[in-house]
Amino acid sequence: MTAGQRDHVVPPAGLRERVMAASLMARPAGRAIPEVPAISPVEAFSRAADAFYGLLCTLDEPDWHRHVLRDLDVQGLVGHLIGVEDDMARAMAGDPGVAQADHVASTQPAAERQAGRPAAATRADWRQAADRTLETVRETGDLAATVTLWGIPLPLGAMLVGRAFELWSHENDIRRAAGRPASVPDAPTLALMTGLATSLLPFGAIKTGLPGPVNVRLVLTGPGGGTWDIAIGGDGPEPASVAIVTDVVGFCRLAANRATPADLDLYVTGDRGQAAGVLAATAALALD
Amino acid sequence: MPATLGRVWLEDPALERSAPARCPVAENHAKFPWVEPTDALLTARLAAGDDFALAEAFDRLGPAVYGAALRVLGEWAAAQDVAQDVFVELWAHPDRYDPGAGSLRTYLTVLARHRAVDLVRSELRRIARQERNHRLTPPQELRSPGDEVAAAEAAGVVRAAVRLLPDSQRQVVELAYFRGMSYREVAQAVGIPEGTAKSRLRLALAKLESVLDRQLLELS
Repeated sequence: MTAGQRDHVVPPAGLRERVMAASLMARPAGRAIPEVPAISPVEAFSRAADAFYGLLCTLDEPDWHRHVLRDLDVQGLVGHLIGVEDDMARAMAGDPGVAQADHVASTQPAAERQAGRPAAATRADWRQAADRTLETVRETGDLAATVTLWGIPLPLGAMLVGRAFELWSHENDIRRAAGRPASVPDAPTLALMTGLATSLLPFGAIKTGLPGPVNVRLVLTGPGGGTWDIAIGGDGPEPASVAIVTDVVGFCRLAANRATPADLDLYVTGDRGQAAGVLAATAALALD
Repeated sequence: MPATLGRVWLEDPALERSAPARCPVAENHAKFPWVEPTDALLTARLAAGDDFALAEAFDRLGPAVYGAALRVLGEWAAAQDVAQDVFVELWAHPDRYDPGAGSLRTYLTVLARHRAVDLVRSELRRIARQERNHRLTPPQELRSPGDEVAAAEAAGVVRAAVRLLPDSQRQVVELAYFRGMSYREVAQAVGIPEGTAKSRLRLALAKLESVLDRQLLELS
């Protein structure tokens, strides 16, 4: 008999409840540690823009012409993002024309305009466009005000976090095309990104037709992660319960549609079919 | 929890209309890389704030942790306090567990034994202080019921610890502390010189810690 077996004694009734209560007094459920310093959505977008621009500054001339996404090379993708900043400016100004525009069609002219231009000019134009977005937000932006872009109405703060998500995704598209190692956002930015993705999960579930209702406990491990309880689906019979545990960065890649569930390490309790549906809903959050 | 982003609008009639009747990915999940639970995963969940993971940890390891504390202390109330401290520590600092160094069971039971031994040492010192004070000061008023309960619990902890000592040392400690004998009375009762009784008692107190330390090392 081992020491561990000798020590095995059924605890008295009530000890489990005592342990849970005392532990949750020390740290409430859902609060991840180590704690991540909070940053504003503006700061998250600014950091993502700096990371994207930093990568562009390291690209060689041949890198700018590598195929990266859809029919776009790197220069075309940066052009697409110049168009995105233009659309963002129009959305912040309340332009209804961009509110229901198609994400790709609306920015395609800006992408095509880059063909034949010096890479440095494209890079400078993008930096200028991103800086213009930041200036507008800092001067006049109400982060709680609703902005509608490409059919998606969001508070401006959430929209900026989504834009940080987008820049990180495209930064890694370019990294992959140029044979560079992938990057990971800092933990404060990741925390905002996961907060946005989890709040939009019911939206993704509608897009994919997840049969509900489902109560999801989503546990994202690693710095910038956390624990969320999300009710998905409307009226219906007794909701299914499912818990999904995975790495926070992998989850963000899934939400950006840059990874599939098969790429993640997933620990699931409950109905695996429902869990797979939740993961599909996560991947459906991305625009491209 | 992450910073609030404000209310997110989810109602979109166009999306409702375009929603497919079935979710194809949800029907094709057999090839997903579902992983098995591990200690590293459990502590990562704890760090993420998953209180279900804490409940799972208690259900799986609570008996071992409580048993480890009870084995040192011999007293259920103190053993519960130690078990509670151990799980609060795990919840508050899951990063202190290193999966590469051993199993979570080993980590928690060793932690429980350390805490239990610390408790015994602390109680021993307190009792020794009380004993010294008692001999140097005149008799006091009767103690309150609360003091009596605390004293009884402390005595239980001390007795459990003293049982671990070799017979010759246990004997002098029991006579001096549990029966309230003076050094001279201990010496007479055991049949040894008074100086030997004094030195044996000092040695017993010091050796008690040593014995408990050695036990900890062996069990680790």
